[in-house]
Amino acid sequence: MDPITFSIIRHRLYRVVEEAVITLKHVSGSAITNEGHDLMVSLYREDGSLLMGGVGFLHHLTSAAEACKSIIRRFAGQINAGDIFLLNDPYTAALHTSDVYLVSPIHFDGKLVAWSACFVHVADIGAMNPGGFAPDAQDIFTEGFSSPGIKLVDAGQLRQDVWDTLLNMVRNPEMVALDLRSMIACNNVAKERMVALFEKYGAPTVTEACATLIEQSEQRLRERLRELPDGRWQSRQYLEVKGETYRVVLTMTKAGDSLTFDFTGSSPQSKYSVNCSKWASLGGLFAPLFPLLCYDIVWNEGVIRPIKMIAPEGTIVNCTRPAPVSVATVGAIQSVNNAACSTIGKMLAASEKYADEATAVWHANHFAIFMFGNNQRGRLAIGILTETFAGAGGARMFGDGVDLGGEIPNPISRMANVETIEATFPVRYLFRRRLTDSGGPGRHRGGAGGEMAIVAHDAPDGGIHYVLSGKGPKFPQSEGIAGGYPGAANDYVWVHGPKEAHNVERFASTFDAIPGDKEPISWGVFPLQGHDALYVRWNGGGGIGDPLERDPDQVLADVVSGVVSERAARDVFGVVIAQDAIDRTATDGRRASLRQARLEAGVSE
Amino acid sequence: MTRISSTLVAKDRMTCCAACGHALAPLGKSWKQHAAVSTVAATSLPGAGTGLDRRVVLRRFACPNCLRLLDTETALPEDPFLEDVVMVQDGK
Repeated sequence: MDPITFSIIRHRLYRVVEEAVITLKHVSGSAITNEGHDLMVSLYREDGSLLMGGVGFLHHLTSAAEACKSIIRRFAGQINAGDIFLLNDPYTAALHTSDVYLVSPIHFDGKLVAWSACFVHVADIGAMNPGGFAPDAQDIFTEGFSSPGIKLVDAGQLRQDVWDTLLNMVRNPEMVALDLRSMIACNNVAKERMVALFEKYGAPTVTEACATLIEQSEQRLRERLRELPDGRWQSRQYLEVKGETYRVVLTMTKAGDSLTFDFTGSSPQSKYSVNCSKWASLGGLFAPLFPLLCYDIVWNEGVIRPIKMIAPEGTIVNCTRPAPVSVATVGAIQSVNNAACSTIGKMLAASEKYADEATAVWHANHFAIFMFGNNQRGRLAIGILTETFAGAGGARMFGDGVDLGGEIPNPISRMANVETIEATFPVRYLFRRRLTDSGGPGRHRGGAGGEMAIVAHDAPDGGIHYVLSGKGPKFPQSEGIAGGYPGAANDYVWVHGPKEAHNVERFASTFDAIPGDKEPISWGVFPLQGHDALYVRWNGGGGIGDPLERDPDQVLADVVSGVVSERAARDVFGVVIAQDAIDRTATDGRRASLRQARLEAGVSE
Repeated sequence: MTRISSTLVAKDRMTCCAACGHALAPLGKSWKQHAAVSTVAATSLPGAGTGLDRRVVLRRFACPNCLRLLDTETALPEDPFLEDVVMVQDGK
């Protein structure tokens, strides 16, 4: 094939995905999709193998491939032009029930030539708790509607019986209908553009270009792996639910042109819904691998071939049905993301050529806070606090992590405006900003996380409720590398406000200024009623290198901007600041003293 | 010298501090056992949240010669050191 035609087809495939993503966002009406970008669109070959990975949450790229393959097996002989299938069973391919896949076969000249697949986190899935993350669930049966594959659109005709059945099982059918329609529109656009591509260049040429694209990706990743040193790198992530601690342990081995991710040693599966299935773990390790190792390689089946995963059955990273998994995306999957990011980062740092591509762990601890209740217009509102998508960047070898810079597994994640949330839910923000001392210290500092507080406002029922889940506040999880410290941990506090409102409560601008009894919380359903407040702080990124080697002028700039406290400047970075200036002599002495303390055994408080 | 990480190199079949050249351990053996290990309670670090597990520590591995930090780990006391091994062709 001539290289120009190949290059044009490659770019057309990129554009098909891009246009489909735009469609998905424009049709969807939920903040989690069109503002938080909790979505994914990708293209697959006729056998379901990944052809062109799109943007959004990258741990869905491989899972949706398995979804296509599963539909091919289950519906053999019944797959027609114009069909659209729905799949959301985590033990078949999906990550958790509320991330619903719609997969659509693409036919040309009567022959199946490709698939498009997308997902959004639907507003509700009928689980025990509103919004899909179900901390009260004890098994998959209590996590809402779950399908290993069902035909939603038959040869271009919506199956009204299936549609009505689905919407009959969820709390917020209007919004879920919009979610489903956005995905149908997305797949239709992808299909139309792919058919146009086949019409223009002919099936043999497009098919050859697709096969070449996959071969090229495999070849390029294998070449890159051969350039990196052989070795074995380890990482360990902790998560906690209701007093029980779990570990995700990873040993990544690189030998020649292949890479093995071995999760042997991880905790047994949990009775809580933080588990993940094997497809989710596979997607979880690929989410950082795509951007960190394949930043200039097309994300497709060719990238998957050199990678092997070992995930022992019955563990938290490969649980067995009917274990609950609804919190997986902010549970064990993210722990897999973090562990893989850490080991890949350390492998890159071991290479002269690729050291600058290394990164500490980014935003390692999502918090899932789904609010639900009647809003100021008397309508049921269910939705997530999208701040969880505004993570903090891990430090890089050449610079600091980006404050509130997003996350590795979703290159386009972001949070909604405060006004969007206040318009949707009967709440008011007291404040939302960067969190002091949240970025992991290092020669290069991790990006800062954030903090926020909300109160009920203009609520017809006196307030609202929220479902809180995730990996808990017990452990820092954004690991540093090469001597860098981890980012600070999450925190969730229910402030039981006074009976009578006063101006301090109405306008408190710091955590300490919010009056009331402060109760740490981490898992379950809680009220936000009366004069209570919900305070949330979320983790910073990991640091890189020794904090005592950070340029004192950078430390001063951080203190002036409020990202680092004077205490951290003195006690971690060894920089003494007096009257907004660096005391150079005192700083030299402080750094020498802190270095000497590294010879002391025992745990220092 | 061969790079092992941004803080370690291989030299004369030994794992050495990249900054000062101090030999820590034979290649392939755990260099962390020979580092200066200091342990800090995570709750004592600036920015620590109210919900932190009081048992969690930050292990800091420093070169015993120049005292530069070589690596860190977040850990519970009962968990072993994480061990990274880079295969070096000749180790010179």
